[in-house]
Amino acid sequence: MAGPLALALVLGLASLSFIMRATGSFLPNLPSAVTARTAGLAPALLAALVAIQVTGPNGLIHLDVKVPAVLLAGVLAALRAPFIVCVVAGALVAALLRAVFHLN
Amino acid sequence: MAGMRARRSLREILQAAAPIALAVFVFGASFGVLAVAARLPAWSVVLMSVLVFAGSAQFAALGVINAGGTVLTAIFAGALLNLRFVATGIAVARSLPGGRLLRSLLAQLSIDESYAMSVRAGAPGPPDGRTLLVTGACLYAVWVFGTLIGALFGPVLGDPKRLGLDAAFPAGFVALLWPLLSGRHAVRCAIGGTVAALALAPFTPPGIPLAGAAVVGLWLAR
Repeated sequence: MAGPLALALVLGLASLSFIMRATGSFLPNLPSAVTARTAGLAPALLAALVAIQVTGPNGLIHLDVKVPAVLLAGVLAALRAPFIVCVVAGALVAALLRAVFHLN
Repeated sequence: MAGMRARRSLREILQAAAPIALAVFVFGASFGVLAVAARLPAWSVVLMSVLVFAGSAQFAALGVINAGGTVLTAIFAGALLNLRFVATGIAVARSLPGGRLLRSLLAQLSIDESYAMSVRAGAPGPPDGRTLLVTGACLYAVWVFGTLIGALFGPVLGDPKRLGLDAAFPAGFVALLWPLLSGRHAVRCAIGGTVAALALAPFTPPGIPLAGAAVVGLWLAR
């Protein structure tokens, strides 16, 4: 990625994150019913990000070595493996399937 | 006074933070490696950790870029994940010293881990501000240093696709998601988010599926 574009990415995300962390000090106590709803954002978005990673450019589900990688990472996470173990295992499975079976 | 907890010493806070700091270092290093493999300039990778300081948001933004999404979509995905900091910001605001301006600056040290530690230290009362600041500062240093190490050593590894580094993104998202899935609501939100994203992806430009998932998540979280 070109430098200016990368800078735009960093500054855009940084300024929005700054504002979000700062606003709490200026807001009155919102009803907990409102703030509790933000708890739903992280699971929904992370699940959606997994889903989007296994779709092709046309937006349809595209099965490749990422699928077994996700499954293995899910099993390891369920067994309470640390984050890095899940990530490395996912990458290794994908690399192995590519090297041995020449899969996509 | 009855009910008042003794102030925790700096040493106690740091001891409790040490294992988390190690995990954050490794997370930062893996972010650095993957970001450089996704062809972001190394300086921008480190700058992102310096200025954003939010693992899952940075990881999400990077995942979007790696999957061919635009910069705007990436910012959008990361910012949506950080929306929860508005809620945690309200919770910690009264525990921090100084006026509103100073508190809004100090609140920049909140991430999931430092917030959780401050809640635990303050329980059953409000979050403990000192724990938030000490833990947050410690994790910030470790996060930036980990990213720097990852970004420096990442290019040594070689061709990202041959190493399966593209599959590291969905694997990492699953690893971040799993611990959140305690309780019926979270599971419902995750399933709803998946369905919304997959249903919208074939018909809408990148970014919209994530926005749809966010709306569904807010809707189902009660």
